[in-house]
Amino acid sequence: MVEETAHAINATHEAAHGTSQEGLKELANWITLVNEHSHGSVAHFLHHWENVVFSLSAALFLVGISFFATRKKSLVPTPLQNALELAVESLDNLITGILGPRGRAYVPFTGTLFLYILIQNFMGLVPGMKAPTSSLNTTVALAVCVFFYVQGIGIKENGIIGYIDHFMGSPRDLVGWIMVPLNLPLHILEEFIKPMSLSLRLFGNILGEDSLIAAFVGLGILSLSFIHSPIGLPLQFPFFLLSMLLGTIQALVFTLLTTIYISLMLPHEETEHGHP
Amino acid sequence: MTFQTALSLTLPIAVAIAAFGSALGLSRAIGNAMEAIGRQPEAYNKIQTAMIIGCAFIEALTIYALLTVLILQGKIG
Repeated sequence: MVEETAHAINATHEAAHGTSQEGLKELANWITLVNEHSHGSVAHFLHHWENVVFSLSAALFLVGISFFATRKKSLVPTPLQNALELAVESLDNLITGILGPRGRAYVPFTGTLFLYILIQNFMGLVPGMKAPTSSLNTTVALAVCVFFYVQGIGIKENGIIGYIDHFMGSPRDLVGWIMVPLNLPLHILEEFIKPMSLSLRLFGNILGEDSLIAAFVGLGILSLSFIHSPIGLPLQFPFFLLSMLLGTIQALVFTLLTTIYISLMLPHEETEHGHP
Repeated sequence: MTFQTALSLTLPIAVAIAAFGSALGLSRAIGNAMEAIGRQPEAYNKIQTAMIIGCAFIEALTIYALLTVLILQGKIG
């Protein structure tokens, strides 16, 4: 009787959680379930590249919404166009508030970054899907994109000479030139640490939230195991709300940090910050 | 002492120290933000946004520590 209960608990545990033994367990998604029940090569291929599959579906979702919202652009907008205009204008205000009116050129990249990361974080809450940002591969890819974009902006706005001069700490007098062997390695190291911290922050937060939800799903199933129920109590519900809040905050922090790194690369003229 | 014993002893202490440090840092940040709001209540939105971003930075350091602990605790037994 006891081992029957233990076997039932184990079976429901395995069905609810992904059955990978290394690292933190998250809830199973449709690719994991397909991979468990079929032994074909397509399922294996999908399981190997499951983060890419989910990131691509997030990207296709965004492309689809943008396509349908802008099919007939009218002065009096349809509800979908209105919602999208709200999102784009808020992002525009946010980023030009930090970068000044010249920052308009950088809104497409950073705005898309925010929406893409937001959709990916929320995908972890949909049953049957996984947040691709809960894997280090996705977040490092995003951070590498940001790294190359920011360095490209530095070279484009300052020129090669100005770019290297910026790295040496803009030496103008003798003291500046003496400090160059200190400034240059530190600055270069800082440029590499920035994307590392971006990726680890996003990865750690989203993986932590998804593992928390998985742990509480297991607890909910365990709590009703005395009546051998296949469904458990929905103990994970408060963590859905927490995950939505923290996912939004993490997307916002990623975008704002990217914007701040861009503003550090731009020539240090007077940027308007609303000084009266 | 096996490495499992060592890990089991030190990992909870690591999380506790990370949480303690982050609590200190966050308390300073949020306290200063509250003071700033008190001085200029009409700037509430801007101060709140800046505070949330600052807290996300501080929280990230705790998350690094938590990540290390979570990866290592899979190696116990």
